[in-house]
Amino acid sequence: MDTQLLSDTFVDLADTMVADFDVIDFLHMLTDRSVRLLPASAAGVMLADPRGELRVAAASSEEADLLDLFQLQNDQGPCLECFRTGQPVTAADLTGPVQRWPRFAQAATQSGFRAVQALPMRLRDQVIGALNLFAEGPDPFDPADLRIGQALADVATIGLLHERNVRRRETITEQLQAALNSRVAIEQAKGKLAERLGIDMDRAFAMLRDYARNSNRLLTDVARDFVEGASADFPPPQRRRPTR
Amino acid sequence: MAHPDAQMTDRRTVIVWGQLAAHAAAHGRRVSIVDVCAIAVRSAELSGAWLAVARDGEPDFVMCVTDLVSEQLPELQLTLGEGPCHDVLAWAAPVLAGDLADAEFRRRWPAFTPAARQLGAGAVFAFPLIVGAIRAGVFGLYRGSAGPLSDGQLGDLLILADVATMMLLGSSDGHGEVEDGAGLDGQAPDLALHRAEIDQATGMLTVQLDVSPAEAFARLRAYAYSQDRRLTEVAGDIVARRLRLRRDPGQDGGP
Repeated sequence: MDTQLLSDTFVDLADTMVADFDVIDFLHMLTDRSVRLLPASAAGVMLADPRGELRVAAASSEEADLLDLFQLQNDQGPCLECFRTGQPVTAADLTGPVQRWPRFAQAATQSGFRAVQALPMRLRDQVIGALNLFAEGPDPFDPADLRIGQALADVATIGLLHERNVRRRETITEQLQAALNSRVAIEQAKGKLAERLGIDMDRAFAMLRDYARNSNRLLTDVARDFVEGASADFPPPQRRRPTR
Repeated sequence: MAHPDAQMTDRRTVIVWGQLAAHAAAHGRRVSIVDVCAIAVRSAELSGAWLAVARDGEPDFVMCVTDLVSEQLPELQLTLGEGPCHDVLAWAAPVLAGDLADAEFRRRWPAFTPAARQLGAGAVFAFPLIVGAIRAGVFGLYRGSAGPLSDGQLGDLLILADVATMMLLGSSDGHGEVEDGAGLDGQAPDLALHRAEIDQATGMLTVQLDVSPAEAFARLRAYAYSQDRRLTEVAGDIVARRLRLRRDPGQDGGP
């Protein structure tokens, strides 16, 4: 365990939350750090849509294979189980003969993963999402890893519900929907940029994120402006947008 | 919040679609946003609903209202330049104001809130008809009495908002009508709309076809419909660069 990286991570996450920040960018940073801090090779944050679906809000890699693995868990998998129970769920070895989630286990092993951990994101009695960790070897997480993982999941919850104090229960729904809609705009922007430059989705995401950071703008605003704009040039021409 | 259960959600979507189809059939017409407004009011036990189309990120043209108050509420917001509908479009998130007497809403919309209460609205709920950067409109609802929506009511309204979005974005006649009985695009109503590939493919098509995101999305759905294939499959082929669409739809094909 790199304790320096651990404390730096929490400082960075706290710093990000001070100003007006982009929640998807923030969650992406959190998945990124999860992979660096824990014996995981991929991580993702999934959120519960009030329609009843699980949707990917951020992942450490934007590759389609990984996103599919998250989305597959709408049918079965540790993440869905974690949502339903509000408890951490471990799949320590997905290659064994008896699998609780056979279709998920098959898809995950095909993508090179052998173990999965789901950690709940909770606010009081409500489960709003889960942090999903994927590892290439069996039984990768010890109790200390799981405590750190849960702390990261808790920070994700705080970041997600940042903007107003959650006095009204409805605020959670409003914030979750805003985050999920941001994600859609970012996916559209990734597609536009990937097509324009002939690059993959991961690279397109990194370019959008870097541009947003360097120009001190919210990733979601950059994505919306780029997709809405008539020009496919990137960086996009700037437009004014109301501040919150 | 209800725990996610894909099967239950699919089931709910089918039930809501059935209600829409039955309501339209009883009035001898194809399913339209009029039915969406009516079913929303009925299933969430509300007093009225309206649907406003967005232009340049602002609520603009009101397409459908169910009663006098639901006609006045969007007008009020247009006049005052503030209210739940403006916030919905600006932040791409629903606004759930279960009790307009709450001081929070008075602070948020100092002119709209007292005026809306005077019209007889105790609660106002507004949902974005938005797909990422595509802002099609706002679905507004009110109730005479104050009180929050139940989880089930909220889920149904989000499903109905999805249906209304697809109608606004898919209708060539501008009236938001879709075929009788069939699901959206002739497909069974499902959750496919929330797959990343569809959003990525929409973005790619804005460049391939040199069109707006709304038109790119419409072309994607039209192509899937014409080929009798699922939207996610077609989107997956576009993202994997196995399929390109051409400006002339007759020439759509391989990479």
